[in-house]
Amino acid sequence: MNPTEQPPTAGGPGENGPGQAAPAPWPDPAQEALRDRVASDSLTTRRDYLRIVTTVSGGLAVGAVAVAGGVLHRHGDSEDAPKPKRVADRLRPGESIAFRFPGEDDRAVGVRLKDGTLVGYSAICTHLACAVLWREDRGNDGELYCPCHEGVFDARTGEVTAGPPPRPLPKVLLVEEIDGSVWAVATTRSGESVKAAMCRQFGEQRPDMAARIGCPGMRTRTERSERT
Amino acid sequence: MSADTGPGGSGDATVPAPPPYTPGSTQPRLNRPVRDRYPQIRATSGYGDPRIRRTGPGPGAGTEQEPERSSKLTARLALAITVVVGQLWGLTVIVNEWMKGNTGTAWWGTGFLGLSFLVVLGLWLLDPKDR
Repeated sequence: MNPTEQPPTAGGPGENGPGQAAPAPWPDPAQEALRDRVASDSLTTRRDYLRIVTTVSGGLAVGAVAVAGGVLHRHGDSEDAPKPKRVADRLRPGESIAFRFPGEDDRAVGVRLKDGTLVGYSAICTHLACAVLWREDRGNDGELYCPCHEGVFDARTGEVTAGPPPRPLPKVLLVEEIDGSVWAVATTRSGESVKAAMCRQFGEQRPDMAARIGCPGMRTRTERSERT
Repeated sequence: MSADTGPGGSGDATVPAPPPYTPGSTQPRLNRPVRDRYPQIRATSGYGDPRIRRTGPGPGAGTEQEPERSSKLTARLALAITVVVGQLWGLTVIVNEWMKGNTGTAWWGTGFLGLSFLVVLGLWLLDPKDR
């Protein structure tokens, strides 16, 4: 039909009854499909991407504030010094024990190496917080192994020897009493020395012990008291 | 010439009278606004665009009056993405330092991420009139 030609029945008052719907504006399904395709096209521009990138940047900055403010849990973080906890009556060479110290969320593993050395570590992988397992059959001394992403930690030092973990395991300081029982007494953070951890946790509540192990602030305080 | 004959009529009564003139088309879909008929054409395109100063080929014609504008926008976006990648790296450093107990270093890193965000914000607000 010529576009300028009047349809013979267009707009006829008697064609559509009062109860009948008006005809669709685009009866051609191909045109409807084209309209749907065009309407669903993504019209995201580079400016939109720039706005999205800016939003992500702000979110990362806020996340950094949250992390530095302490939103993440560190093994052994608590208000006061940890109380010693008996974790095993006896631990033979090659054996391990899973326990929680000092809090209920702080999962740990204690191991007696073949040469009798007693070591303890956090059992939470520093990569993505999976459970770390003691594998006696791996390596010379056995290994602490995270099965999620093949992370491996040295059994003597807790350092990362393979895999993606970015930090060494926090240590749990274990002591053995004369009767053979094993006690957990303190924790360290990733890469923190035992002395620094003891000074941090017991410097305020056990100044005598802190001075005995040579904590810097305690030594000064002791010397000052001796002078006075 | 009688009044009841059509404009081109010669008085022959067998020729039907033409329909009355109405602007537009008899097909409703062709009478829709241009932005409905051609949704691919963006609203800023066409001669309503004030940046078009000349017709035809040559300077001032078309929709792009500032050839550097597009490349500048691409460069701003690339710089912003680079800064955000650096922020992602910085956040991993902050988490590691916090977990090691180096809270001061973590706060320094937080300052770095905050400044990076200001840089990205500046890149975004550098040319707010850019389309």
